[in-house]
Amino acid sequence: MANTETALKEALASIEGATGVALVDYTSGMALGTMGGSKSFDLTVAAAGNTDVVRSKLRTMEHLGLKGQIEDILITLSDQYHLIRLISGRGGNGLFLYLVLDAKRANLAMARHQLKKIEEDLEV
Amino acid sequence: MDAEPEVLDELRRLRARIPQLTGALAASVDGLVLAQDAPGVEPESIAALTAAALGVALRMTDATGQGDFRELLVRGIHGYVATYAAGRSAVLTLLAQDRVNVGRLHLEGRRASTRIGELVDEAAARTEPPPRSRPARSPTTTTARAAMPTRTRTARSPASPRSAANARTTTEG
Repeated sequence: MANTETALKEALASIEGATGVALVDYTSGMALGTMGGSKSFDLTVAAAGNTDVVRSKLRTMEHLGLKGQIEDILITLSDQYHLIRLISGRGGNGLFLYLVLDAKRANLAMARHQLKKIEEDLEV
Repeated sequence: MDAEPEVLDELRRLRARIPQLTGALAASVDGLVLAQDAPGVEPESIAALTAAALGVALRMTDATGQGDFRELLVRGIHGYVATYAAGRSAVLTLLAQDRVNVGRLHLEGRRASTRIGELVDEAAARTEPPPRSRPARSPTTTTARAAMPTRTRTARSPASPRSAANARTTTEG
């Protein structure tokens, strides 16, 4: 079991190409923790913005009558990957992990796999 | 306040950017409405209440050593009331539904309050001609004048016979 800070550190250190990571509460849009990022990449702005992405998808699924759960959302930019992984169970409801990857350095399949493990270990 | 149309523009922009906002108003710290876009509520009473809440918030930040007031967030069952400091003499109060993205509310609220603060402070500087600058300047100049001649006189006094003679000859000639 890892706490928020350990999980964020692990994501940034062990996932190849990771440049920023945040744990976000999508009921409020506020980040519980952020790590990495830069002056030009404000992770709290990303947290608020991607909250709208998650909410929008959940609403769409509700309208479509889909019963499944979102596991993750992938956004592909020309030079970056953004991975959103919703946290399931153990009081982690309403939270997601947000990971920014440099597309040149990252291995997407590996990053997804590692992020899943980090999410499973995370205790909020 | 001649900044009102610009402040109102800012409030409208804010409501367009965050659809879950149900109202926005800018008030002076003493509780008067500067501009408002808040249908369905009494802006005057919200502004007055904001001033009262602000008073408590200021004392709270002061008593706990947290420095100057920045923002105040109140959450009810049906939604939020957020107040942000806007410059030296104004505040921005936003009303939002419970399902609002608070992260976004803060981002947009802070940005708008900075802008509104600039507008209001600029307008205040324009309407109030600085009355203090003149009386503040004149005493300093008189003291400077009073101090300077005595010093120069004492410094010059040993060489006074020659210079006085020179001066006399030039004035005579």
